[in-house]
Amino acid sequence: MLKVLVVDDSLIMRRNIKKYLTSLGHNIIGEAKNANEALAFCKENKPNLITMDISMPGMNGLEAINKIKSINKYFSIIMITSYGKNNVVKTALQEGAQGYILKPVTEEKLYESIGKIYPEYLLLEEDIEEVKDL
Amino acid sequence: MNEEVKVVHAYTKDLLVPIIRRVKTYLEEEMKIDVFNCSEIVYPKNIHLKRNTIMIGTSGSIKLIITLGYDDLLLNKLVEIFTHGDNIEDIDTNEVKNSVACEISNTIIGNAINNPIDNSDIYITPPVLVSEAKTLYKDKDSKFVYVSLVTKYGEIQLTAVGPKEQFEDELEFKDI
Repeated sequence: MLKVLVVDDSLIMRRNIKKYLTSLGHNIIGEAKNANEALAFCKENKPNLITMDISMPGMNGLEAINKIKSINKYFSIIMITSYGKNNVVKTALQEGAQGYILKPVTEEKLYESIGKIYPEYLLLEEDIEEVKDL
Repeated sequence: MNEEVKVVHAYTKDLLVPIIRRVKTYLEEEMKIDVFNCSEIVYPKNIHLKRNTIMIGTSGSIKLIITLGYDDLLLNKLVEIFTHGDNIEDIDTNEVKNSVACEISNTIIGNAINNPIDNSDIYITPPVLVSEAKTLYKDKDSKFVYVSLVTKYGEIQLTAVGPKEQFEDELEFKDI
């Protein structure tokens, strides 16, 4: 089970991402609606994973990556973006993000993206069915 | 709404048509809501925005203001789908509606925005809600582009506002 911080200025996105991650068996230890709140949280807590929206008022997600990595370089970051056709994703990965999800966010996309960083969380299909049956 | 001659610059066509297409595919593929009809693009002298309208600006070498306006019934349906039908009692209903409209607009425009001029990146501003119906009037240096997409729950109104020089060539809209 990963300890996750969800960073998004959108109320409904924070809610949906928390719901998907909880369904995947992870533990939401915090949420932040902007980069400054995320930085403050990361100074006091140790999330394994941070999901972070790129486009936020004030400091955007790209600017926040470096600052979060300077607090703890082992924090894993998955960027969430609506940009499908520009270099934002490339920049995010260069800045130190481990993965990205192109909106719309779904539980499946989160599962796959987390699995690329933490392969041990990739369940076999029969395992998923077994978990759902519990 | 007074219509003007249908003229739009080629790069505006390349910019706007992908957004119109993404509105359609988003509704049909992500939300499972059929789009019955897509109006022709018109170039009005004024635009009456719907009560639930989201405004997003672009920055970079193309500067436009794009709005997406939602009929009440359609937005209620989108909220229902977006929240998976969950009863969200702990959050104000209007706040949820606003948040869903902003998120959908951000996703549609972000997914579709591209730069047909010089391929440099175009960024979009965080979405802003226009909470009351407003009428926009153009001045001599600006131009409006308007199109609407109709579903059984009502329509989405898509508008773009930009400098007049960005709208010069003819756009055939039949291939949407």
